[in-house]
Formats: sequence, structure tokens, C-alpha cells
Amino acid sequence: MSIIENKEARLPLERVSVPTDKHYRMRMKQHGLLNSNPRKSGILAAIVGYGLLFGAAHGVLILAFQVIPWGLVSLGLEKTSFWYNVIYGLLAPVLAFLFVAVVALINILMLRKYLAKVQNRYGPLHNGPSGSLQTVYDALKLVSKEDYTPKMVEETIFTLAPVLVFVSAFLLMAVIPFAPGWVFANVEAGAIFIIAAGTIGGYGVLLAGWSMNNKYGLMGGLRAAAQLVSYEVPLSISLLSVCVYAGSMNLSKIVEAQQSLWFAIPLFIPFVIYLIAGLAELKMTPFDLPEAESELVAGFNTEYGGMRFGFFFVAEFAELYLLPALLAVFFLGGWYPPSIPTFGIPFLTDMAGGSSTLQLMFKANIAEGEVMTWWNTLFQPGGLLVGAQYSFWFLLKGAAGVYFYMWIRATLPRFRDDQLMELCWKGLIPLSLIGLILAAFSRLMPAVGITISVLVGGTFLVMIIRGAFFPAKQVKA
Amino acid sequence: MTAVAEQPNNARNTSGSVMNPTTVERVAGRSDEMLLNLGPQHPATHGVLRVLMGVDGERVTRAIPHIGYLHRNHEKLEEVRTYPQCIPYTDRMDYVSGMQNELPLCLAVEEMLGVEVPERAKYIRTILFELSRIASHMVWIGTYMLDLGAITPFLYAFRDREMILDIIEETAGARLLPNYFTYGGVRRDHHPQMLEDILGFLKWFEKKLPEYEALTIDAPVFQARTVGVGVLDPQVALNHGVTGPNLRGSGIGWDLRKDDPYDAYPNLDFEVCVEYGCDAYSRSRARFREFRESIKIIRQAIAQYPKTGPIVPKLPRLKPVAGMERYRAVEISRGHLGVHIVADGSEKPWRSKHRSPSFCTLQALPDMAVGSKFSDAIAILGSIDIVLGEIDR
Repeated sequence: MSIIENKEARLPLERVSVPTDKHYRMRMKQHGLLNSNPRKSGILAAIVGYGLLFGAAHGVLILAFQVIPWGLVSLGLEKTSFWYNVIYGLLAPVLAFLFVAVVALINILMLRKYLAKVQNRYGPLHNGPSGSLQTVYDALKLVSKEDYTPKMVEETIFTLAPVLVFVSAFLLMAVIPFAPGWVFANVEAGAIFIIAAGTIGGYGVLLAGWSMNNKYGLMGGLRAAAQLVSYEVPLSISLLSVCVYAGSMNLSKIVEAQQSLWFAIPLFIPFVIYLIAGLAELKMTPFDLPEAESELVAGFNTEYGGMRFGFFFVAEFAELYLLPALLAVFFLGGWYPPSIPTFGIPFLTDMAGGSSTLQLMFKANIAEGEVMTWWNTLFQPGGLLVGAQYSFWFLLKGAAGVYFYMWIRATLPRFRDDQLMELCWKGLIPLSLIGLILAAFSRLMPAVGITISVLVGGTFLVMIIRGAFFPAKQVKA
Repeated sequence: MTAVAEQPNNARNTSGSVMNPTTVERVAGRSDEMLLNLGPQHPATHGVLRVLMGVDGERVTRAIPHIGYLHRNHEKLEEVRTYPQCIPYTDRMDYVSGMQNELPLCLAVEEMLGVEVPERAKYIRTILFELSRIASHMVWIGTYMLDLGAITPFLYAFRDREMILDIIEETAGARLLPNYFTYGGVRRDHHPQMLEDILGFLKWFEKKLPEYEALTIDAPVFQARTVGVGVLDPQVALNHGVTGPNLRGSGIGWDLRKDDPYDAYPNLDFEVCVEYGCDAYSRSRARFREFRESIKIIRQAIAQYPKTGPIVPKLPRLKPVAGMERYRAVEISRGHLGVHIVADGSEKPWRSKHRSPSFCTLQALPDMAVGSKFSDAIAILGSIDIVLGEIDR
């Protein structure tokens, strides 16, 4: 029984370090669910699955902005005619809803897979390639459940609340430009519209908590009201800084103003404030007080079930995409690809200027005022493929923002309500006002303004990184 | 508390989906106070605890713990069973660190019988005892971070705790309720790979410990949530009989491994982890320091481990003399777990009384939680690390 001296025994660490995976894999193999190395096949299947879903979202956009108008025009309807507007006006919300649904689907999946990756788990695995259809099944389950109203609730408001939340998320969709000209409603005061539409969601959450005759729900609703109303302020001010700097409230014009320089650099303070306040608007982890699971069970949606809960759920994950999408519009250059140094070479300058390679290749074939053929529809400036290429960059920037938020969600614990309010009223709001002043200053005197802005913003960023990654080792308790 | 049989003023709120507060808590409610039943089914109660909380907005005005939802009559059951049959019942008290619960009963009966435990059995017991402490504190990390809203540390902690449970399973045959310690030593010899496995685990765990600290006690948000929260005055703690890391987090270095040593602890060099903040953060730090002390203890015990020798001596008949009684206590991961055995000359104990640490700790909850925020009350409930199986028995 030489226990310690026996060096040739099985390596203990090797055997001990992955027991959970071992058991899991053994069980999976027994059921014939796992044949090869799960990691490799998982990654491949995930790429295919997400590619399909991403393509579906993209397809809906193309359908909405290119194919249907082209089809209607081919049928002989003028773009200004009454029937064109009626048909497109009826189709557009359906397509927007489809887009929101697909995007929410992708987000839920991404979150589940990403959290699983962070937490040494597999996440959804069995339905569809790499579990990518799991969310579809979940959605079907929610729809098939009984539409149940508990006793002693304010029934009208109880029913109205999820609709309000969903509509709020849905409305934001209308004004977001995905590519030049690809926007459901090109509103002049788009920024104001976004602030107004976003606020409706806060009402929904408050009313949901109040109407359900549940104490946890009531507390969740009140917390949500306080949080959402407070964080609207820095969020709105940071959006207004962009409007001041760009000189317009139209989102398309704001994006066009960022062709050479993304606003994230000159407007660094509003950018960081938008990131933080957006997280609070999403009610995600460091700010998830309204539905704090360990405190309020499920917070404002405690008594909801079936598709009523589904509306909250879809709205939450649609917003999880739409807020980073707005981040892309306001700060990350919208549909423009990342600018590359061109060194004055004409071809590269054209590329960086937003012309696509395809467009350059087929430029000779397209003359001004030519009859609209399917060929021209594809390759004219603002045509299908060009638009698709632009919207690809847009969707990609949104996805990067989603990942950033998920990363935070996977890492941080929750704040307390007074700390939440302190951060907003003592930190973000004064800072956002400074950001607004600097934005105006940068507009008048670009060189000086941008320098100050970058200096102040850089200091702020250093402080954040220092706080997040090099925390105090000792606390004087 | 004034016990007035009167409906609370906020009758609408209490007649709905939330249960009516019953019995003595039907106090004259203030109109700005909402009575909230936290539990028995609630994500943050660590089992089936019900805390009746009065909240004024977010401020906690009262917190009354209601226990008994997990009562299984262990003490009475032990009175109608023979001494060897009693041991599995102790496992089921603090099911998070089951192996530790067997020890006080064994020690008490060994003293009554006058049995000398062999050296090797003492070391096996000590090693597994400390390993269980690490496993138990891992569960605490996971559940506490869940209470504070972070999900990831829970899965990390349970991943590593699984390794300890595998080691225990290989040796004792069961993961959570091992029934391994017995009167006079241990029930059977350990797995031949056990000590190597443990050393391998310690190597892995020491590498992972800074990661846990970065995610928890060193993280700014964690510190914001725990520093100065749930202050437990040392005198109040002593009055309630709070023990374990909760007492040591209040600045009192009371540890039975030092103060009333048992098994191999007199031969081992370690320090008692005392923190002076008296708050949730200090209690957390005390537990994190105990990780390192436990690693130190296990390393020493494995180095001193006698490689040969019996694991259990020749036992006399398990019939202590009538009228004989013993109280023995050990320092389990939650504090001072004691067993009081009274013998009547038969093969069954006449009375078996368990003194459980979480029971006393929970009594200090109102002192810590009243006046704090509702979120803080959850953070406090998590920081005292209670196990309801041991409170209700």
C-alpha cells in the first residue's frame, strides 16, 4: 500500500479534473446522442446554425426593402400610388415582426450558448444543429400553453402590459436604418421617436407589476419604474449629444455623417454612457433588479405564463438586439464597414467610401436613368446586393454589441437599488451633461473639442478598466 | 412583538396570491408596512425556510424566521435505533457536508465506551473532514453568488466540488451521505488512490482559488454589496450562540479544532481565520481564508499519515453503561455541531440531542436584517450559510 511514493499510478489530476464532463459524455454516448468529439462537431454545427438564422434575418430585410417594392413596381404600381402604399404599409409591419422574431430567436440562442460556454456547460444540444432549434420548441411550448389569468388581478391592465412592452420594442424597429434607404419609416425626428417609444416599455413593466396582485410583482414593477425612468435621462442626453454633433435627428443622416469618423471617438463620453445606460434599460445583470430572481422570484412577470410571458420574453430579447443596433447607428458608423486607411489609392478610396466591390465591377453596365431590370436591381447603387452588404455590416455591429452585453451578464453580480440610483444620478447624468457640452464644443471647434473629449473620455475609460480588471485587493472593513 | 389578533390594514394585499400571515405574527400592521412571505418556496431561502418579512418600500422592518418545514424527527428516531443505526441519520442533518456530521456522535460514543481510535483512522477522518469543509464552502460560494445575482461562479464552484464528491464516493461509496465514520474509526479502508487524488485535487484547487477570489471577494460589485452589510455585533453573536465562520467574521476566534481538539488536529499546525469587520464581507473573507487553511491541514495530514495500522479497534459491545452521558462537539463548516448522548444501558441511546450551528445562526437574522434594504436581507441570509436540514433535523 504505497500510496504517496507510487509515481506510476494513474495521473490523479487527469482523472479528477473533468469528472462532470466524463459522466455527462458517458450518459450521452449510452443514449447514442454523442458520437464524435462534441466540441468540434458543436462548433461546426453552430456555425451552420447561426449562419442559417443570420441569413434568415438578412432575408427578411432584403424582402422588406428590395424584393417586395420591386415586385409591386413590376406589377405596374407607382411608388407614390395609393395601392402601393396600402399594400406595403400592410406588409411592412408583418416583415418587421418577422425580423424582430428571428432576431430575438438568435439572441436567445446566442445567450444560452454563450453562457454555457462561459460556464463549462454545453447549453442546448439536441434539437437542430447544435441545439439551434431549441428556442423554436420553447416558443411553441409557450404558444400552446393555456392563456391563464390569475384571480384578483386588474384584468385589463394585466393583459395590456405585455402588449405595451412588446410594442415598445417593436416600434424601435421602425426607424432603424439597416442600409442606405433601408428603413421602414424615415422619420425626421428619429432620435426623439426612439426616446418616446422606448419609454412606453417602462409603463408596461410598471403596470404589469402593479396589476398582478402579487407583492413580488409590485416591488419588481416599482423598481423597474424607478430604474427605467432614471436611466432614460442619461440615455437621452447621450443620444442628444450625437444629434447636436451630427446636426440632425434623422438616423439615416446621423449614419451618413459618420462615413469618415465614427462618433464613438469624438463623442466618447456619450458612447460609454450609452453602453451603461443601455444595459440598465435592458434590465440585464448588474441592473436586473426588476426581475431579480433570488430576491423577487421573477419580479414584474411573476404571475405571467404562456404567451403573455412570451411577449415579455421576446420583447426583452428583441431589445437586446435593438439597443446595440442603435449603438451602431449612433456611435459605430451604422452600415459603413470599418474605415481602412486608403493612402490616396482610388480603388481603396472608393471601397472606403462605401462603394462595394461588386458595384465597382459592374459599374460600367449601369447608366443613369436606365430601365429597372432584375440586373439593375441587383447591382445599381443602393441595389439589392449593395444593400445586403451594408446591412451585413450593420447586423454584425449589432451582434458585437450583444456579445458585449452578454459578457457582462455572465460576469457580474447585481447592484442594490440605492447603488443603482447613485450611479445614475451622481455619476452618469452629470457626466452626460459634460458630454453634451463637449459635443457642442466639438461641433464649433473640432480640433480643440475632440482633443478635450478624447482626453476626458480616455481618463474615464482608464478609470473604468482599472476598476473592472484591477479591483482593490484589500478593503478596510 | 405585540401579539394583537387583528387583521392587517393592507387586507387587499394579504388576501390574494400571497399567504396570510398566521398565528402570532397577526400583528396590527402599519399601513405603510407590507408583510412579505419569503418562502417556504423561494429561490434564496436555501431549502425550505420561511421568513416573514415586513417591508416598508425597500426597507425591512421585521424579519421573523419560521422553521420546521423540513423537520424529520431525527433525534426521536435515534432513540429507537441501535447505536450503529444512528450514524446514517446524522448524515442527513447538514447534507452539504454530510461526513462531518458523523464525527461528534462517534466521538461521544467512543468516550462512553472508552475506545481508543487508531492513529490511521484519526488521520483519515481529519483529511476527509477538511475535504468536506472545502466542498461545503464551495456550495456556499455558488449559492451566495446566486443570491447576489451572478450565475457563473455557481457552476464553477459545483464543477470543482464534484471532484471532492468523486473522491468521497470512491472511498465511502456515496457522494453526499457517506455513512463512513464509525465508532472507533472508519467503516472500511480508503480507496488506494485516495491520497493521490486528494493531492491532485489540491493542486488544481489552489490554481483555481485566485479565480474564485477575483469573481467574488475581490470583485468591486461584490464588495459594494457586502461591506458594511448585515453587521453582527460580537456580543449579539455570543448571545445567540453563533459559531463557525460567522462568529469568526465578527472578530471572535473561537474554533473547536483549536479550543477542544479532536482526532489528528492536535498534531497539525494551522491558524484560526478571524476577521474583524463583523459584516457579510468579513464572513465571506473568513470562509475564503479557511480554504487555504484546509489545504494546509490536508497537506500536513497526508505528510504525517501513518501508512500501516488498523482502521478500527476491537470494539466492546455497543452498550454504554446506564446513566452515562457525554456531550461532544466538533467544528463543522457551519460552526459548532454538538451531540449529547444519554445512555440507559441498552443498545439504544435514551436521549440524543443535537446542537446545530445553523439553528443558532438563524436566530441572529432579525438582528442583522431589520433596518436594512430588502436586497441586503437576501445578501445577509446568504452570508450566514445556513442549511435547513440541520436547523429542522
